[in-house]
Amino acid sequence: MAGLDRQPSDRRIDDTMLIREAQRGNRGAFEELVRHYDHAVLRLALHLTGTEQDAQDVYQDAFLKAYKNIGSFRFECSFYTWIYRIVTNLCLDHLRKKTVRKEDAPVVKDASGGEFDLLDQVADVRAGANPERDLMRRQLGARISGALERLTPRERMVFELKHYHGLKLRTVGEILHTTEETAKNTLFRATQKLRGALADMR
Amino acid sequence: MKCEWVRENIVLQVYGELADDARHELEQHVARCADCAAELKAEQEFHALLAQDRAPDPTPNLLAASRMRLQESLETAVQGSFWTRLPFDPAIWLRQVRFSPALASAILILGFAGGVGTTYRIYGAHTATPGSPSTPSQVPAEASITGIRSVTQQPGSNQIDIKYDTVSTQDTSGSINDQRIQQLLLYAARNNYNSGVRMDSVGLLTQKPEDAHFREALMYALQYDSNPGVRFKAMDGLGPYVKDDTAVRDSLLQALVNDANPGVRTEALRLLEPVKADGSVRGVLMTLAAKDSSQYIKSQARTMLAQLPEID
Repeated sequence: MAGLDRQPSDRRIDDTMLIREAQRGNRGAFEELVRHYDHAVLRLALHLTGTEQDAQDVYQDAFLKAYKNIGSFRFECSFYTWIYRIVTNLCLDHLRKKTVRKEDAPVVKDASGGEFDLLDQVADVRAGANPERDLMRRQLGARISGALERLTPRERMVFELKHYHGLKLRTVGEILHTTEETAKNTLFRATQKLRGALADMR
Repeated sequence: MKCEWVRENIVLQVYGELADDARHELEQHVARCADCAAELKAEQEFHALLAQDRAPDPTPNLLAASRMRLQESLETAVQGSFWTRLPFDPAIWLRQVRFSPALASAILILGFAGGVGTTYRIYGAHTATPGSPSTPSQVPAEASITGIRSVTQQPGSNQIDIKYDTVSTQDTSGSINDQRIQQLLLYAARNNYNSGVRMDSVGLLTQKPEDAHFREALMYALQYDSNPGVRFKAMDGLGPYVKDDTAVRDSLLQALVNDANPGVRTEALRLLEPVKADGSVRGVLMTLAAKDSSQYIKSQARTMLAQLPEID
Protein backbone atom coordinates (compact mmCIF):
# COMPACT_ATOMS: atom_id res chain seq x y z
CA MET A 1 0.00 0.00 0.00
CA ALA A 2 1.30 3.36 -0.91
CA GLY A 3 1.59 5.92 1.83
CA LEU A 4 3.69 6.91 4.76
CA ASP A 5 2.94 3.90 6.96
CA ARG A 6 5.72 1.82 5.48
CA GLN A 7 6.25 -1.78 6.59
CA PRO A 8 9.65 -2.77 8.03
CA SER A 9 10.28 -4.93 4.96
CA ASP A 10 9.72 -1.86 2.74
CA ARG A 11 12.21 0.01 4.85
CA ARG A 12 14.71 -2.82 4.38
CA ILE A 13 14.27 -2.71 0.61
CA ASP A 14 14.67 1.05 0.73
CA ASP A 15 17.81 0.74 2.81
CA THR A 16 19.30 -1.92 0.56
CA MET A 17 18.76 0.33 -2.42
CA LEU A 18 20.21 3.35 -0.66
CA ILE A 19 23.21 1.39 0.57
CA ARG A 20 23.98 0.14 -2.93
CA GLU A 21 23.71 3.67 -4.28
CA ALA A 22 25.89 5.01 -1.47
CA GLN A 23 28.42 2.28 -2.24
CA ARG A 24 28.56 3.61 -5.80
CA GLY A 25 29.46 6.99 -4.34
CA ASN A 26 26.01 8.62 -4.35
CA ARG A 27 26.15 11.09 -1.46
CA GLY A 28 22.43 11.92 -1.65
CA ALA A 29 21.57 8.28 -1.05
CA PHE A 30 23.87 8.19 1.95
CA GLU A 31 22.31 11.34 3.40
CA GLU A 32 18.89 9.75 3.02
CA LEU A 33 20.16 6.69 4.85
CA VAL A 34 21.50 8.94 7.61
CA ARG A 35 18.05 10.44 8.08
CA HIS A 36 16.60 6.97 8.66
CA TYR A 37 18.85 6.40 11.64
CA ASP A 38 20.24 9.66 12.95
CA HIS A 39 17.56 10.48 15.49
CA ALA A 40 18.10 7.18 17.30
CA VAL A 41 21.87 7.55 17.04
CA LEU A 42 21.82 11.06 18.46
CA ARG A 43 19.53 10.04 21.32
CA LEU A 44 21.87 7.20 22.27
CA ALA A 45 24.94 9.42 22.06
CA LEU A 46 23.26 12.20 24.01
CA HIS A 47 22.30 9.99 26.93
CA LEU A 48 25.61 8.15 27.01
CA THR A 49 27.90 11.15 26.74
CA GLY A 50 25.71 13.50 28.75
CA THR A 51 26.45 16.65 26.75
CA GLU A 52 25.15 17.95 23.44
CA GLN A 53 28.66 18.80 22.28
CA ASP A 54 29.97 15.27 22.85
CA ALA A 55 26.81 13.76 21.37
CA GLN A 56 27.30 15.84 18.25
CA ASP A 57 30.92 14.71 18.01
CA VAL A 58 29.92 11.05 18.27
CA TYR A 59 27.17 11.58 15.66
CA GLN A 60 29.61 13.26 13.31
CA ASP A 61 32.36 10.66 13.73
CA ALA A 62 29.93 7.74 13.42
CA PHE A 63 28.34 8.80 10.16
CA LEU A 64 31.63 9.96 8.63
CA LYS A 65 33.12 6.58 9.47
CA ALA A 66 30.06 4.87 7.99
CA TYR A 67 30.39 6.96 4.81
CA LYS A 68 34.06 6.15 4.40
CA ASN A 69 33.55 2.44 5.04
CA ILE A 70 30.22 1.78 3.42
CA GLY A 71 32.06 0.06 0.58
CA SER A 72 33.02 -2.70 2.98
CA PHE A 73 29.41 -3.22 4.17
CA ARG A 74 28.50 -6.64 2.78
CA PHE A 75 24.95 -7.13 4.03
CA GLU A 76 26.09 -9.83 6.47
CA CYS A 77 24.12 -8.04 9.16
CA SER A 78 21.44 -5.36 8.95
CA PHE A 79 22.52 -1.78 8.40
CA TYR A 80 20.85 -1.03 11.75
CA THR A 81 23.24 -3.39 13.54
CA TRP A 82 26.19 -2.07 11.54
CA ILE A 83 25.58 1.59 12.32
CA TYR A 84 24.86 0.83 15.98
CA ARG A 85 28.14 -1.08 16.11
CA ILE A 86 30.02 2.00 14.93
CA VAL A 87 28.18 4.29 17.34
CA THR A 88 28.56 2.02 20.35
CA ASN A 89 32.28 1.62 19.68
CA LEU A 90 32.71 5.39 19.60
CA CYS A 91 30.62 5.77 22.75
CA LEU A 92 32.61 3.05 24.51
CA ASP A 93 35.82 4.93 23.67
CA HIS A 94 34.22 8.06 25.02
CA LEU A 95 33.14 6.33 28.24
CA ARG A 96 36.61 4.86 28.75
CA LYS A 97 38.24 8.26 28.32
CA LYS A 98 35.66 9.77 30.66
CA THR A 99 36.50 7.20 33.34
CA VAL A 100 40.14 8.26 33.15
CA ARG A 101 39.26 11.97 33.22
CA LYS A 102 36.89 11.54 36.12
CA GLU A 103 39.43 12.57 38.77
CA ASP A 104 39.33 16.11 37.40
CA ALA A 105 35.53 16.35 37.45
CA PRO A 106 33.85 18.85 39.77
CA VAL A 107 32.58 16.19 42.16
CA VAL A 108 31.84 16.92 45.81
CA LYS A 109 30.38 14.88 48.62
CA ASP A 110 26.89 15.53 49.92
CA ALA A 111 25.73 15.36 53.54
CA SER A 112 25.26 11.57 53.48
CA GLY A 113 28.75 11.06 52.03
CA GLY A 114 27.52 10.17 48.50
CA GLU A 115 29.26 11.80 45.56
CA PHE A 116 27.40 14.04 43.17
CA ASP A 117 28.44 16.04 40.14
CA LEU A 118 28.23 19.81 40.54
CA LEU A 119 27.14 20.12 36.91
CA ASP A 120 24.01 18.11 37.72
CA GLN A 121 22.97 20.84 40.11
CA VAL A 122 22.79 23.50 37.41
CA ALA A 123 19.15 24.58 37.12
CA ASP A 124 17.21 23.36 34.13
CA VAL A 125 15.70 26.41 32.44
CA ARG A 126 12.96 24.29 30.84
CA ALA A 127 11.38 23.69 34.25
CA GLY A 128 7.65 23.13 33.93
CA ALA A 129 4.64 24.14 36.00
CA ASN A 130 5.40 21.96 39.02
CA PRO A 131 8.79 23.00 40.43
CA GLU A 132 8.68 20.52 43.30
CA ARG A 133 8.10 17.55 41.03
CA ASP A 134 10.73 18.85 38.61
CA LEU A 135 13.20 19.13 41.42
CA MET A 136 12.49 15.55 42.54
CA ARG A 137 12.78 14.27 39.01
CA ARG A 138 16.05 16.12 38.55
CA GLN A 139 17.41 14.71 41.77
CA LEU A 140 16.37 11.21 40.75
CA GLY A 141 17.94 11.71 37.32
CA ALA A 142 21.16 12.95 38.93
CA ARG A 143 21.32 9.97 41.28
CA ILE A 144 20.69 7.52 38.44
CA SER A 145 23.31 9.22 36.26
CA GLY A 146 25.79 8.96 39.11
CA ALA A 147 25.03 5.27 39.56
CA LEU A 148 25.29 4.62 35.81
CA GLU A 149 28.71 6.21 35.74
CA ARG A 150 29.96 3.69 38.24
CA LEU A 151 29.25 0.82 35.87
CA THR A 152 32.00 -0.43 33.58
CA PRO A 153 31.68 0.99 30.05
CA ARG A 154 30.44 -2.35 28.74
CA GLU A 155 27.87 -2.82 31.51
CA ARG A 156 26.73 0.71 30.92
CA MET A 157 26.35 0.08 27.20
CA VAL A 158 24.33 -3.12 27.61
CA PHE A 159 22.08 -1.46 30.18
CA GLU A 160 21.68 1.63 28.02
CA LEU A 161 20.69 -0.32 24.90
CA LYS A 162 18.30 -2.55 26.81
CA HIS A 163 16.74 -0.20 29.33
CA TYR A 164 16.66 3.16 27.59
CA HIS A 165 16.47 2.04 23.98
CA GLY A 166 14.47 -1.17 24.33
CA LEU A 167 16.68 -3.31 22.08
CA LYS A 168 16.45 -7.09 22.32
CA LEU A 169 19.43 -8.65 24.09
CA ARG A 170 20.11 -10.72 20.99
CA THR A 171 20.55 -7.53 19.00
CA VAL A 172 22.65 -6.03 21.79
CA GLY A 173 24.89 -9.12 21.59
CA GLU A 174 25.25 -8.74 17.82
CA ILE A 175 26.06 -5.06 18.11
CA LEU A 176 28.71 -5.64 20.76
CA HIS A 177 30.18 -8.68 18.98
CA THR A 178 29.24 -11.03 21.76
CA THR A 179 26.64 -13.68 22.56
CA GLU A 180 23.13 -13.14 23.86
CA GLU A 181 24.15 -15.12 26.96
CA THR A 182 27.00 -12.72 27.73
CA ALA A 183 24.67 -9.77 27.20
CA LYS A 184 22.23 -11.34 29.68
CA ASN A 185 24.96 -11.81 32.29
CA THR A 186 26.18 -8.26 31.77
CA LEU A 187 22.66 -6.89 32.18
CA PHE A 188 22.28 -8.90 35.39
CA ARG A 189 25.55 -7.50 36.80
CA ALA A 190 24.63 -3.96 35.78
CA THR A 191 21.20 -4.05 37.45
CA GLN A 192 22.67 -5.61 40.60
CA LYS A 193 25.19 -2.75 40.85
CA LEU A 194 22.53 -0.14 40.16
CA ARG A 195 20.19 -1.58 42.78
CA GLY A 196 23.03 -1.49 45.28
CA ALA A 197 23.91 2.10 44.44
CA LEU A 198 20.29 3.30 44.55
CA ALA A 199 19.11 1.15 47.46
CA ASP A 200 18.15 4.18 49.57
CA MET A 201 15.94 5.62 46.88
CA ARG A 202 13.20 3.00 47.29
CA MET B 1 20.02 -24.01 43.27
CA LYS B 2 16.55 -23.29 42.00
CA CYS B 3 16.39 -20.02 43.93
CA GLU B 4 19.78 -19.03 42.55
CA TRP B 5 18.58 -19.64 38.99
CA VAL B 6 15.44 -17.61 39.69
CA ARG B 7 17.44 -14.68 41.13
CA GLU B 8 19.60 -14.58 38.03
CA ASN B 9 16.61 -14.62 35.73
CA ILE B 10 14.31 -12.19 37.49
CA VAL B 11 15.87 -9.25 35.69
CA LEU B 12 15.25 -10.97 32.33
CA GLN B 13 11.65 -11.56 33.37
CA VAL B 14 11.21 -7.88 34.18
CA TYR B 15 12.64 -6.90 30.78
CA GLY B 16 10.50 -9.47 28.93
CA GLU B 17 13.59 -11.35 27.75
CA LEU B 18 12.78 -14.74 29.24
CA ALA B 19 11.79 -17.61 26.96
CA ASP B 20 8.20 -18.81 27.47
CA ASP B 21 9.13 -22.09 29.16
CA ALA B 22 11.63 -20.40 31.50
CA ARG B 23 9.07 -17.72 32.33
CA HIS B 24 6.53 -20.39 33.23
CA GLU B 25 9.08 -22.15 35.43
CA LEU B 26 9.98 -18.89 37.15
CA GLU B 27 6.33 -17.99 37.80
CA GLN B 28 5.66 -21.43 39.23
CA HIS B 29 8.62 -21.11 41.58
CA VAL B 30 7.78 -17.57 42.68
CA ALA B 31 4.25 -18.67 43.56
CA ARG B 32 5.72 -21.17 46.04
CA CYS B 33 8.82 -19.36 47.33
CA ALA B 34 8.26 -16.25 49.46
CA ASP B 35 11.91 -15.09 49.25
CA CYS B 36 11.96 -15.18 45.49
CA ALA B 37 8.54 -13.51 45.33
CA ALA B 38 9.93 -10.67 47.46
CA GLU B 39 12.96 -10.45 45.19
CA LEU B 40 10.75 -10.24 42.11
CA LYS B 41 8.70 -7.49 43.73
CA ALA B 42 11.83 -5.57 44.67
CA GLU B 43 13.17 -5.85 41.11
CA GLN B 44 9.84 -4.68 39.70
CA GLU B 45 9.79 -1.70 42.06
CA PHE B 46 13.34 -0.83 41.09
CA HIS B 47 12.40 -1.09 37.44
CA ALA B 48 9.47 1.28 38.04
CA LEU B 49 11.80 3.72 39.79
CA LEU B 50 14.23 3.70 36.88
CA ALA B 51 11.38 4.06 34.41
CA GLN B 52 10.74 7.55 35.79
CA ASP B 53 14.05 8.62 34.28
CA ARG B 54 13.84 8.56 30.50
CA ALA B 55 16.62 9.17 28.00
CA PRO B 56 15.83 12.63 26.62
CA ASP B 57 15.08 13.07 22.94
CA PRO B 58 17.53 15.32 21.14
CA THR B 59 16.03 18.72 20.45
CA PRO B 60 15.13 19.52 16.82
CA ASN B 61 17.82 22.21 16.91
CA LEU B 62 20.50 19.75 17.93
CA LEU B 63 19.42 17.30 15.24
CA ALA B 64 19.39 20.02 12.58
CA ALA B 65 22.78 21.34 13.67
CA SER B 66 24.26 17.83 13.65
CA ARG B 67 22.91 17.18 10.16
CA MET B 68 24.32 20.41 8.84
CA ARG B 69 27.72 19.78 10.33
CA LEU B 70 27.75 16.28 8.85
CA GLN B 71 26.71 17.54 5.42
CA GLU B 72 29.59 19.99 5.43
CA SER B 73 32.06 17.27 6.32
CA LEU B 74 30.68 14.90 3.70
CA GLU B 75 31.47 17.47 1.01
CA THR B 76 35.16 16.92 1.55
CA ALA B 77 35.08 13.33 2.81
CA VAL B 78 36.48 10.65 0.54
CA GLN B 79 35.08 7.14 0.47
CA GLY B 80 37.35 4.10 0.75
CA SER B 81 39.53 2.97 -2.13
CA PHE B 82 38.07 1.73 -5.40
CA TRP B 83 38.39 -1.91 -4.38
CA THR B 84 36.73 -1.49 -1.00
CA ARG B 85 33.85 0.36 -2.66
CA LEU B 86 33.04 -2.66 -4.77
CA PRO B 87 30.36 -4.78 -3.11
CA PHE B 88 32.28 -7.73 -4.54
CA ASP B 89 35.84 -7.63 -3.29
CA PRO B 90 38.22 -9.55 -5.60
CA ALA B 91 40.93 -9.63 -2.92
CA ILE B 92 38.72 -11.51 -0.46
CA TRP B 93 37.47 -13.73 -3.23
CA LEU B 94 41.00 -14.65 -4.30
CA ARG B 95 42.00 -15.33 -0.71
CA GLN B 96 39.09 -17.73 -0.31
CA VAL B 97 39.72 -19.41 -3.62
CA ARG B 98 43.40 -19.95 -2.77
CA PHE B 99 42.40 -22.20 0.11
CA SER B 100 39.78 -24.20 -1.70
CA PRO B 101 41.10 -25.78 -4.90
CA ALA B 102 37.90 -27.77 -5.48
CA LEU B 103 35.82 -24.59 -5.40
CA ALA B 104 38.34 -22.88 -7.65
CA SER B 105 38.06 -25.66 -10.23
CA ALA B 106 34.27 -25.56 -10.03
CA ILE B 107 34.24 -21.80 -10.58
CA LEU B 108 36.65 -22.18 -13.50
CA ILE B 109 34.42 -24.79 -15.15
CA LEU B 110 31.34 -22.69 -14.53
CA GLY B 111 33.15 -19.71 -16.04
CA PHE B 112 33.86 -21.64 -19.23
CA ALA B 113 30.32 -22.94 -19.42
CA GLY B 114 28.92 -19.45 -18.82
CA GLY B 115 31.19 -17.97 -21.47
CA VAL B 116 30.15 -20.53 -24.07
CA GLY B 117 26.47 -20.10 -23.12
CA THR B 118 26.57 -16.33 -23.39
CA THR B 119 28.23 -16.39 -26.81
CA TYR B 120 25.59 -18.79 -28.04
CA ARG B 121 22.80 -16.62 -26.67
CA ILE B 122 24.10 -13.39 -28.13
CA TYR B 123 24.53 -15.03 -31.51
CA GLY B 124 21.05 -16.58 -31.27
CA ALA B 125 19.44 -13.28 -30.28
CA HIS B 126 20.96 -11.50 -33.24
CA THR B 127 19.76 -14.03 -35.75
CA ALA B 128 16.33 -14.50 -34.21
CA THR B 129 15.20 -10.85 -34.07
CA PRO B 130 16.31 -9.07 -37.19
CA GLY B 131 13.18 -6.94 -37.45
CA SER B 132 12.52 -6.23 -33.81
CA PRO B 133 11.76 -2.59 -32.99
CA SER B 134 14.55 -0.59 -31.47
CA THR B 135 14.06 -0.80 -27.73
CA PRO B 136 15.35 2.01 -25.59
CA SER B 137 17.10 1.50 -22.30
CA GLN B 138 16.65 -1.71 -20.30
CA VAL B 139 14.30 -1.50 -17.35
CA PRO B 140 16.37 -1.75 -14.19
CA ALA B 141 15.58 -4.30 -11.49
CA GLU B 142 12.53 -3.37 -9.42
CA ALA B 143 14.72 -2.69 -6.41
CA SER B 144 16.47 0.21 -8.15
CA ILE B 145 13.26 2.02 -9.13
CA THR B 146 12.62 4.74 -6.58
CA GLY B 147 9.24 5.87 -7.92
CA ILE B 148 7.05 6.25 -10.99
CA ARG B 149 6.52 9.88 -12.02
CA SER B 150 3.77 9.60 -14.56
CA VAL B 151 1.86 7.14 -16.73
CA THR B 152 0.15 8.39 -19.88
CA GLN B 153 -1.41 6.73 -22.88
CA GLN B 154 -1.01 8.52 -26.17
CA PRO B 155 -4.46 9.26 -27.62
CA GLY B 156 -5.44 7.06 -30.53
CA SER B 157 -2.57 4.61 -30.12
CA ASN B 158 -1.61 1.78 -27.85
CA GLN B 159 1.64 3.47 -26.82
CA ILE B 160 2.06 4.02 -23.10
CA ASP B 161 4.64 6.52 -21.81
CA ILE B 162 6.07 5.91 -18.36
CA LYS B 163 8.48 8.23 -16.57
CA TYR B 164 10.21 6.56 -13.67
CA ASP B 165 13.03 7.40 -11.29
CA THR B 166 16.05 5.39 -10.56
CA VAL B 167 18.60 7.87 -9.37
CA SER B 168 17.58 10.20 -12.15
CA THR B 169 14.26 10.28 -13.95
CA GLN B 170 14.05 8.02 -16.98
CA ASP B 171 11.50 7.63 -19.70
CA THR B 172 10.35 4.53 -21.50
CA SER B 173 7.50 3.77 -23.86
CA GLY B 174 5.85 0.76 -25.48
CA SER B 175 2.55 -1.05 -25.85
CA ILE B 176 0.69 -2.71 -23.02
CA ASN B 177 1.95 -6.07 -24.32
CA ASP B 178 5.51 -4.94 -23.78
CA GLN B 179 7.02 -6.77 -20.84
CA ARG B 180 8.94 -3.70 -19.63
CA ILE B 181 5.78 -1.62 -19.64
CA GLN B 182 3.88 -4.35 -17.80
CA GLN B 183 6.58 -4.61 -15.16
CA LEU B 184 6.53 -0.83 -14.55
CA LEU B 185 2.72 -0.66 -14.51
CA LEU B 186 2.53 -3.41 -11.90
CA TYR B 187 5.18 -1.65 -9.85
CA ALA B 188 3.42 1.72 -10.10
CA ALA B 189 0.03 0.25 -9.15
CA ARG B 190 1.43 -1.13 -5.93
CA ASN B 191 4.20 1.17 -4.85
CA ASN B 192 3.84 4.73 -6.02
CA TYR B 193 3.29 7.54 -3.55
CA ASN B 194 1.39 9.62 -6.01
CA SER B 195 -2.20 8.42 -6.12
CA GLY B 196 -2.73 10.03 -9.54
CA VAL B 197 -0.03 7.77 -10.99
CA ARG B 198 -1.54 4.74 -9.23
CA MET B 199 -4.89 5.69 -10.70
CA ASP B 200 -3.44 5.89 -14.24
CA SER B 201 -1.61 2.59 -13.84
CA VAL B 202 -4.63 0.78 -12.44
CA GLY B 203 -6.72 2.27 -15.24
CA LEU B 204 -4.34 0.76 -17.81
CA LEU B 205 -4.26 -2.56 -15.98
CA THR B 206 -8.04 -2.79 -16.34
CA GLN B 207 -7.55 -2.84 -20.12
CA LYS B 208 -6.05 -6.31 -19.90
CA PRO B 209 -7.60 -8.05 -16.90
CA GLU B 210 -7.27 -11.43 -18.61
CA ASP B 211 -3.60 -11.36 -17.54
CA ALA B 212 -3.41 -13.10 -14.16
CA HIS B 213 -0.70 -10.73 -12.89
CA PHE B 214 -2.76 -7.71 -13.83
CA ARG B 215 -5.82 -9.13 -12.12
CA GLU B 216 -3.77 -9.84 -9.02
CA ALA B 217 -2.50 -6.26 -9.00
CA LEU B 218 -6.09 -4.99 -9.35
CA MET B 219 -7.20 -7.11 -6.39
CA TYR B 220 -4.24 -5.79 -4.40
CA ALA B 221 -5.22 -2.22 -5.27
CA LEU B 222 -8.85 -2.87 -4.31
CA GLN B 223 -7.83 -4.24 -0.98
CA TYR B 224 -4.94 -2.02 0.05
CA ASP B 225 -4.88 1.23 -1.90
CA SER B 226 -5.44 4.23 0.34
CA ASN B 227 -7.26 6.19 -2.38
CA PRO B 228 -10.96 5.29 -2.90
CA GLY B 229 -10.78 6.46 -6.53
CA VAL B 230 -8.05 3.91 -7.25
CA ARG B 231 -10.01 1.18 -5.46
CA PHE B 232 -13.10 2.10 -7.46
CA LYS B 233 -11.14 2.00 -10.70
CA ALA B 234 -9.67 -1.41 -9.86
CA MET B 235 -13.19 -2.84 -9.70
CA ASP B 236 -13.78 -1.87 -13.37
CA GLY B 237 -11.33 -4.53 -14.46
CA LEU B 238 -12.44 -7.11 -11.92
CA GLY B 239 -16.21 -6.99 -12.57
CA PRO B 240 -16.28 -9.34 -15.60
CA TYR B 241 -14.41 -12.03 -13.65
CA VAL B 242 -16.73 -12.22 -10.69
CA LYS B 243 -18.36 -15.37 -12.05
CA ASP B 244 -15.27 -17.34 -13.04
CA ASP B 245 -12.59 -16.29 -10.58
CA THR B 246 -13.31 -17.02 -6.92
CA ALA B 247 -10.37 -14.87 -5.82
CA VAL B 248 -11.98 -11.89 -7.56
CA ARG B 249 -15.30 -12.71 -5.90
CA ASP B 250 -13.64 -12.91 -2.50
CA SER B 251 -11.84 -9.61 -2.93
CA LEU B 252 -15.10 -7.90 -3.98
CA LEU B 253 -16.81 -9.41 -0.93
CA GLN B 254 -14.00 -8.13 1.23
CA ALA B 255 -14.43 -4.64 -0.24
CA LEU B 256 -18.20 -4.88 0.27
CA VAL B 257 -17.80 -5.73 3.94
CA ASN B 258 -14.70 -3.79 4.95
CA ASP B 259 -14.20 -0.82 2.65
CA ALA B 260 -14.46 2.53 4.40
CA ASN B 261 -15.93 4.24 1.36
CA PRO B 262 -19.69 3.84 0.75
CA GLY B 263 -19.28 4.36 -3.01
CA VAL B 264 -16.79 1.51 -3.27
CA ARG B 265 -19.09 -0.72 -1.22
CA THR B 266 -22.10 0.09 -3.38
CA GLU B 267 -20.17 -0.66 -6.55
CA ALA B 268 -18.92 -3.95 -5.08
CA LEU B 269 -22.50 -4.87 -4.24
CA ARG B 270 -23.60 -4.07 -7.79
CA LEU B 271 -20.79 -6.17 -9.30
CA LEU B 272 -21.65 -9.11 -7.07
CA GLU B 273 -25.25 -9.09 -8.24
CA PRO B 274 -24.75 -11.81 -10.93
CA VAL B 275 -23.37 -14.22 -8.31
CA LYS B 276 -25.78 -13.42 -5.48
CA ALA B 277 -26.87 -17.08 -5.35
CA ASP B 278 -23.34 -18.17 -4.47
CA GLY B 279 -23.08 -19.47 -0.88
CA SER B 280 -20.43 -17.02 0.32
CA VAL B 281 -22.17 -14.03 -1.29
CA ARG B 282 -25.53 -15.06 0.13
CA GLY B 283 -23.97 -15.32 3.60
CA VAL B 284 -22.51 -11.82 3.37
CA LEU B 285 -25.79 -10.41 2.01
CA MET B 286 -27.69 -11.86 4.94
CA THR B 287 -25.30 -10.27 7.41
CA LEU B 288 -25.52 -6.91 5.64
CA ALA B 289 -29.32 -7.08 5.41
CA ALA B 290 -29.50 -7.72 9.14
CA LYS B 291 -27.11 -5.18 10.56
CA ASP B 292 -25.26 -2.93 8.15
CA SER B 293 -24.65 0.64 9.25
CA SER B 294 -25.64 2.00 5.83
CA GLN B 295 -29.36 2.05 5.19
CA TYR B 296 -28.84 1.92 1.45
CA ILE B 297 -26.61 -1.20 1.56
CA LYS B 298 -29.01 -2.82 4.00
CA SER B 299 -32.02 -2.32 1.75
CA GLN B 300 -30.11 -3.32 -1.42
CA ALA B 301 -28.95 -6.52 0.26
CA ARG B 302 -32.54 -7.28 1.31
CA THR B 303 -33.80 -6.69 -2.23
CA MET B 304 -31.15 -8.99 -3.67
CA LEU B 305 -31.93 -11.69 -1.13
CA ALA B 306 -35.65 -11.40 -1.83
CA GLN B 307 -34.97 -12.13 -5.51
CA LEU B 308 -33.24 -15.39 -4.66
CA PRO B 309 -35.09 -18.68 -4.70
CA GLU B 310 -35.52 -20.22 -1.25
CA ILE B 311 -32.97 -22.84 -0.24
CA ASP B 312 -34.47 -26.18 0.76
